[in-house]
Amino acid sequence: MSTPSTRERLAPFRLQRAGVVYAFALILVVFTSAAAGTGRPFYLSALNSANILDQTAQVGILAVFMTICLISGNFDLSIGATGALAAGVTLTVINSGAGVLVALLLGLLTGIAMGLFNGVFVQYVGVNAFIVTLGTMTGIRGLLFILTDGRSIQTTDTGLAELLTGDWPVNLKVWAAVVGLVFVAVGVVSLRRERAGRVTDGQGYWYVIAGALLAAVSVIWFPTYWALSKQVWIFLAIVVIAWAVLKFTVVGRRLYAVGGNVEAARLSGIRVARYKVMPFVLNGLFAALVGILYASRFSAINPQALTGIELTVLAAAILGGTSLFGGAGNVLKSVIGALILFVLANGFGVLNLGANYQDLIKGVVIIGAATIYVLAEKRGGRKKLTASDVPAVTPSASISGPAEASGGPVVTGESDAGARAGSGSAARP
Amino acid sequence: MGEPTTPLNSSPPVEKNPLLAVNGVSKRFPNGTVALRDVDLTIARGSIHGLVGANGAGKSTLFKIIAGAHEPSAGELLWQGEPVDWSTPAAPRAAGVATMYQHIPLVPTLSVLENVFLGEMAGWFRRGRLMAQYDALCERFGYRPDPNALVGDLPIGERQMVAVAQALAAGATLICMDEPTASMARAEVELLFRAVNRLRETEGTSFVFCSHFLDQVLELTDEVSVLRDGRMVFTGPTHELTEERLVDLMVGRKLSAMEHTRMEPVAPEAKPVLEAISLRSPGKVDDVSITVRAGEVIGLAGMLGSGRSEILEAIFGADDRCSGTVRVHGKAVGKRVDQRVRAGLALVPEDRNRQGLVGGWEIWRNTTLPDVQKLSRRKMLPDAEAEYARADQAVADLKVRTPSVTTPVSALSGGNAQKVVFAKWIYGDACAYLLDEPTAGVDVGAKADILELVRGFARAGNAVVIVSSEFEELLAVAQRILVVRGGRIVAERNAKDTDEAELLALSSGLGANELGRTG
Repeated sequence: MSTPSTRERLAPFRLQRAGVVYAFALILVVFTSAAAGTGRPFYLSALNSANILDQTAQVGILAVFMTICLISGNFDLSIGATGALAAGVTLTVINSGAGVLVALLLGLLTGIAMGLFNGVFVQYVGVNAFIVTLGTMTGIRGLLFILTDGRSIQTTDTGLAELLTGDWPVNLKVWAAVVGLVFVAVGVVSLRRERAGRVTDGQGYWYVIAGALLAAVSVIWFPTYWALSKQVWIFLAIVVIAWAVLKFTVVGRRLYAVGGNVEAARLSGIRVARYKVMPFVLNGLFAALVGILYASRFSAINPQALTGIELTVLAAAILGGTSLFGGAGNVLKSVIGALILFVLANGFGVLNLGANYQDLIKGVVIIGAATIYVLAEKRGGRKKLTASDVPAVTPSASISGPAEASGGPVVTGESDAGARAGSGSAARP
Repeated sequence: MGEPTTPLNSSPPVEKNPLLAVNGVSKRFPNGTVALRDVDLTIARGSIHGLVGANGAGKSTLFKIIAGAHEPSAGELLWQGEPVDWSTPAAPRAAGVATMYQHIPLVPTLSVLENVFLGEMAGWFRRGRLMAQYDALCERFGYRPDPNALVGDLPIGERQMVAVAQALAAGATLICMDEPTASMARAEVELLFRAVNRLRETEGTSFVFCSHFLDQVLELTDEVSVLRDGRMVFTGPTHELTEERLVDLMVGRKLSAMEHTRMEPVAPEAKPVLEAISLRSPGKVDDVSITVRAGEVIGLAGMLGSGRSEILEAIFGADDRCSGTVRVHGKAVGKRVDQRVRAGLALVPEDRNRQGLVGGWEIWRNTTLPDVQKLSRRKMLPDAEAEYARADQAVADLKVRTPSVTTPVSALSGGNAQKVVFAKWIYGDACAYLLDEPTAGVDVGAKADILELVRGFARAGNAVVIVSSEFEELLAVAQRILVVRGGRIVAERNAKDTDEAELLALSSGLGANELGRTG
């Protein structure tokens, strides 16, 4: 129909869309220069960057699924309690002498069961998600107290720790360059599609720029030894899979539809209940995983563990621009939101900037981010096809006019004209 | 015009300064719609004034002007002889006008007592004193709802009484009621009428009573005004009127000469495409059976709240509590919406923004929403190329005016947005279309496009059920018309053998016999 305008091409770069990325970059620059200026070691060293990722991993995993839940139009406060309960179940089973894998499985099943309970209550009984998960947050914690009689559970079995802790180091110089080049290739392909007259959201530029930057930087800068912990790898794998499913599959499309307008989605034949319950189940499952990861570090779980983590996770999702009303959100941005929170924590520690200020700064960052999104929405979101757009409308309409009149497809490729004539004629005899 | 348009001053002026006089009021909306043209209306003290008109005649606009919710574009309002500027809802309220819209603005979580004195709840809530006031108030209009009951628990008729009490408590001398009896049982209607009559007699309160139920208008009112296409075509004493005359006034002569359906009759051998059998849903749909044959367009005629939309929802499976069977091409289909969509049903819902479109999404993603899986590689990965192609096709076929298919639907005008809702269904496998007010809020050009599209559906051998408040439109597009009232099908007519007046009468609950016809 029409090639994208410059405004459309640049849309992904606007503050409203990419603000969290800029904020993250800015914070990294500030800390890096602060570290350099005060004669401390390089802030983004292999050691410290691996550290930051490790610290972010658990909240990052939860942020991915919280984002999915928020996109579907719901809300889950029970993840911290679910994670702790799953860890408690896992350790109890290990202590009873069953194998680590059986224990792990039972722990994860516990999480699924809790998520299913949330989902069924919210979707089929119709209780508000906030209330249901507030209740399960408290109730599940109560179950854990009953299970543990209020004491920590420890295990002397080292199987779990061996399975889930430790590092899988990687030659970052090589791998980052490879990943960068893959990004460039993906970007070039999607840009060529745009050139072919297709309108996309202009993300090709993102891929090319980010990929080239990554490849270049990695060659001159990146270390050959990067000791990423196992949970970071799990985290990265989850992020990539979740992002791809949301972006490229029918499931993702329908999830956004259900969150964006549940009634329109239902009347379009989408099985809404599935898309409402599934995020809760995923949330339960991965909260359990996070709980077990947490417990594997200490070979122990305290019944108060992970209390309040759901609020950190929500903060990450909000920083990433996820709508609390459903239908909008991006797991990558939520993960960057999580990274911001942990870079702040890490930076204040490493640079010795006075840990007392940390939470205040975090609070300011959260409200600041939300303010930027709201203001940008107010300015940019209210665009109707009026005034300033009219000049843009008229030329394109006049271009497509003759083509319409002649009954032919406009620019959109004669390739499938035959197939269309078939489907079109059924509707318009 | 055949009927003599009664001059307004033919009814003898009862008093020099009537309570409310609307003089030459016009209303033109920013989008160019002219809702009222040079309308006069005079409400005498202590009178019950009926206001009738077909859907879209301008009744609501006139109500809103009196209530201060709209400003008139021209003309003036006189309150007890004095010109007034009612540009905010507070001004008429302070003067003593209470307006009750169809939706009763009470707080359902508060008690009757608290609702009645809602306007006075500044300062301390002095229960004893208010209770005394409440009793006095109830004494005045002869009915006493339980003051401690929560308004949300009351039946609709009693809520209406609470609203009247609230208006009286605020000192109203003119109470305007828009369709107060729409959802009322007969006993409740009588309750309301008794209260209205009593207030009029004992205190001289005036009422404006706006209703689709012409029999009730004739029963209750002293004077009736008729609006048609934004003009006041008649004002006169009720006792001179009959139901036939009222219907004629509402419809106007031009419409009886209206061209009938341009639809070819259905071939006698055409097979049923869609069969709905004994659909029932508590409080909404009462034993409705509809059979639509290939190439047939069935119109559902009914007033607002008659259950016509609910019938479409029941057929589509969107009403979870509905029982009954739906068959497509003779095969029974499951109860859920997704099953019915797969069987070939398509619904264009009444409220396109709430039910039809994902507002933040572009045209292309909305267009392919029901069909995205079929346009996907391996049924899993949506193929943006194919989706753009389909959206481009839809934009061209349906003449959607938009710069590109990536425009968000929230930026489209009503008519263009409605075309996108149609686009969702026309390229898939739908064979039975359920259309709920498809031309509501759509400009004239788009309306013609949409009606032609509907005829196209039928000519291609599909089944269509269409609901419209504009009976003229039903007559122009349907072969058969079913009249709906109270969730039931109360009459069936061939479009060729009926006219707007008869449909209006049937929908309003007047017997066909009274119009000299036989059912």
